[in-house]
Amino acid sequence: MFKYIAKRILQFIPVFLGVTLILFIMQNVVPGDPIKLIAGERKLDEVTERNIRAQHGLIKTDADGNIIYDENGDTIETPMYERYFTYLTDLLQGDLGTSYQRGTSVSSIILQKYPYTVQIAIVGIIIEAIVGIGAGIISAIKRYSFWDVLVTLVTSLLVAMPAFWLGMLLQLVFGIWLGNVTGGAFSFPISGVAGPLAKYPDWMYYVLPAVTLASVSTAYTARIMRSQLLDVMNQDYIRTARAKGLSKGAIIRKHALKNALIPVVTYVGMDFGAMLAGAILTETVFSWPGIGRETYVAITQRDWPIVMGSVTVIVFVVMIINLIVDVSYAFLDPRIRLGSSKNEG
Amino acid sequence: MAKKSSSYVDLKTKPVPEGRHLLEVDDLKMYFHTQDGIVHAVDGVSYTLDRGETLGVVGESGSGKSVTAMTLMGLIDMPPGKIEGGHVYYRGESLLDMTEEQMQHVRGNDIAMIFQDPMTSLNPVYKIGRQVGEGLRLHRGYTKQQAQERAVELLRLVGIPNPEKRVNEYPHQFSGGMRQRVMIAMALACDPDILIADEPTTALDVTIQAQIIELMQEMQEKNGNAIIMITHDLGVVADMADKIMVMYAGRPVEFGTADEIFYESRHPYTWGLIRSIPEQATDEKKPLTPIHGNPPSLVNLPSGCPFAPRCPYAVDICHEKLPEHHTTETGHYSACHFADDPEFVKFAPDTSRSRGKIATGTPDTLDDTLKGGEA
Amino acid sequence: MIYPVHQRPDAAAHADAIAAEHGGAAVSGASRTLWGDAVNRLKKNKLAIIAVIWIVFIVLVALTADLWVPQVLGDPNATAANMAAESRLAPSLEHPFGTDSLGRDVLSRVIYGARISLTVGVVATGISTAIGLVMGALAAYYGGIWDTIIMRLADIFLAFPYTLFVVAMIAVIGNGIQNVFIAIGILGWPSIARVFRSAILSVKENDYVDAARSMGASDVRIIVRHIFPNSVASIVVYATMNIGGAILTESALSFLGMGVVPPDPSWGTLIQDGQKYLQTEPWLMILPGLAILSTVLAFTLLGDGLRDALDVKMKDA
Repeated sequence: MFKYIAKRILQFIPVFLGVTLILFIMQNVVPGDPIKLIAGERKLDEVTERNIRAQHGLIKTDADGNIIYDENGDTIETPMYERYFTYLTDLLQGDLGTSYQRGTSVSSIILQKYPYTVQIAIVGIIIEAIVGIGAGIISAIKRYSFWDVLVTLVTSLLVAMPAFWLGMLLQLVFGIWLGNVTGGAFSFPISGVAGPLAKYPDWMYYVLPAVTLASVSTAYTARIMRSQLLDVMNQDYIRTARAKGLSKGAIIRKHALKNALIPVVTYVGMDFGAMLAGAILTETVFSWPGIGRETYVAITQRDWPIVMGSVTVIVFVVMIINLIVDVSYAFLDPRIRLGSSKNEG
Repeated sequence: MAKKSSSYVDLKTKPVPEGRHLLEVDDLKMYFHTQDGIVHAVDGVSYTLDRGETLGVVGESGSGKSVTAMTLMGLIDMPPGKIEGGHVYYRGESLLDMTEEQMQHVRGNDIAMIFQDPMTSLNPVYKIGRQVGEGLRLHRGYTKQQAQERAVELLRLVGIPNPEKRVNEYPHQFSGGMRQRVMIAMALACDPDILIADEPTTALDVTIQAQIIELMQEMQEKNGNAIIMITHDLGVVADMADKIMVMYAGRPVEFGTADEIFYESRHPYTWGLIRSIPEQATDEKKPLTPIHGNPPSLVNLPSGCPFAPRCPYAVDICHEKLPEHHTTETGHYSACHFADDPEFVKFAPDTSRSRGKIATGTPDTLDDTLKGGEA
Repeated sequence: MIYPVHQRPDAAAHADAIAAEHGGAAVSGASRTLWGDAVNRLKKNKLAIIAVIWIVFIVLVALTADLWVPQVLGDPNATAANMAAESRLAPSLEHPFGTDSLGRDVLSRVIYGARISLTVGVVATGISTAIGLVMGALAAYYGGIWDTIIMRLADIFLAFPYTLFVVAMIAVIGNGIQNVFIAIGILGWPSIARVFRSAILSVKENDYVDAARSMGASDVRIIVRHIFPNSVASIVVYATMNIGGAILTESALSFLGMGVVPPDPSWGTLIQDGQKYLQTEPWLMILPGLAILSTVLAFTLLGDGLRDALDVKMKDA
């Protein structure tokens, strides 16, 4: 098992380097000088601009931080590979750099924003697991019934609609049309964050963004659950269980569900990783101050340290979640768990 | 999950009524109603069976032999399946009239079944012990502990070495032959009256096949249960069956004792099956003769005898009229128009010289040397 | 969150399944009857037929829009005064979908939006498929170091948070319709490559490929004559579903203001415009959303139908 985990972590290194390198190359070919964007319409004076560039390592400095000039008195741009190397060595020391725009450390920005993403991801994954798995089971057991048709219809619609549009519809229905009924409990079209004036507990404000975030993957969870359960019900060992005299309910509970749930749990777990990667669109629609929106704004402002920092964190988190899912898969399925000890007997 | 309902009587304790048999199948008809039409999967099957007896059901794939067994176990989904006629009596009780709940008491407890592919017939995520003991917990109300202990005994009984350890292993840790032994242990757990074995050796190596058949016979001697052995290989049932039913296109075409089927067969399809047994052919220094053509679709059965299109002796009447069962005094019946024609039955393959040592399907040399050497 | 088609778990699984089925049962040369059978089965699938009709309808409307749809960019002679009078009208006979804040007929803009969305869907899928086929073929057929490099590269692409990656890509190459389909197209290749790779691998194991090789057929000939016909079913299904995914991605980009440049109407930009009037004129955002929903749904249903129709296992059952 440890060998497997170590192997997976080793495999992750080239992927991580690849992702960050591609991003690094991108920022160097993007039109627009990020430093010039800092002041917006106004123009930075030359000295300030030079100092900012030096601070971010965009131009060469000596060991004391003094700017180095060439024979013409111009600053020397740091080559890309050197900056990439600096990024990696800083990363090893836990330093994600400093935002161009705000001058604050990227770590502090991420620490401030990430909890919001985690909050709706947790609510979202709970919705996905309960609703998705529940709907899938009902749909499979009552195959071709009204409920099955309903689940199929709703999942098809959810998969085909833009999630951000669904978010707006939810705002429209719960915030505007039902505004009087809900008293604004679910409606926060301006900001998803409960301010000091909020009348309701915090979690209520998570519901609509979380539903939006989880909509598509809940639909997939239901579909996978349904097809898995139907598939398992056709297996020979289900026939064996019937021949033993088990009732249909007992067969589903004892023999079918555990087998059918293994791939579903894997999918839901992986999806939790995807949710923790932040959701630009959901966060934009609900003005949710999470990591996805932060990164998106940073991209439009060419604030590359934030982009690099949050993608680094996101890719790490997703990797860890996927690793956990893989390991737990091995615990759920005995064929994998004991696969190595097969030759013992 | 122990059955606690007081109204429930264990049917096994009920004596077979005077003049009746343990199992009586009478003109059973079960059709599937599909989009493509009505599939005549089981069309007029009749036989009787008593304790300690073995019935061999022989036929090609799709001849309805498995479906017949599944039907009397109540394992066919209805719809699409539908009972179109006939009766099944077990110890005088009509199985077809039982509720689903009553049938659940019968399954596994009174009539147990093992299947063709032991690789897929065990639940991969549960330990062997739990699966073997499950029936006991269900039908006998055993505790987990008791079921586990009994499972160890059962595994030992079916010849699985080191059962205390293996009871806590998962199916994927067993070889194919060992899994089929597990299936047998599981089926015999509740000491059933009838064991239905649906091609139990087809998916196994030849050497293992002999062991599994021997094990089933051994268990039968100990427990006195009846066996319904379903197979496409006449050779397999040759030395183990008391009675043989040959099925074709959902219909029984010939039924009789093993000797009657082998030496006094009165149906051309059975002759074809005998001629296709490899050992039989070499023994007799005759060429192996396959039956040409394929079984008919069960949706659009030809009018007349279903075997007529492939029958080398077919004449006009065969294509026009469905043959009746021509029954002898001993109960040997044949669904051939000419079954009673002494001239016609002379076309039967000459098996007289091999009487007594007819194709066993299991080479004698394999008997003892390989036993238990498979784990 | 956008769900790009390459992350759709069931789509990939189905495509793989088809590939496997295909490899198992189809025989090269039998592909014509296979397609004939597939068309017949597809005809029996009512949902797929409705989907096809809807797609054909949308395509026809988009193609002929110039001939009959009134001014899409607003009346050039409009004055500020009558523009205000015409702006944000509720749906009526004259303007079935109402008018937007600049007094433009929303139905006309949705129709013109169909052009952009369909173009992006088809072209982006075409780009992804082309790159994916080449990469998948290289990886599967030559294996070894090719396989490792290409599949690692695919891992890297898939490890990116998808939406962020598209947005970053647009930031690099700039917005506008060409760049939108370049970005979506380039980022979509790894999934197609994986599907095609596994399809090839399953077909490659078949005896008839060995037979062809033993008779001295060249690699290219084996791929083109034996492997491609047997993998094409999974590619077709996958590409069909991918079109819907690309349309969704385009709408998301345009919604974020990183896609099609105004005044060109895209369904995403129309939703973005409508968002401002959510409280007062919700139809401005609902109707373009319905256009996306119905079109993506149609491609998904068609993909499902093709999947079932081409599924060899279904035919045998």
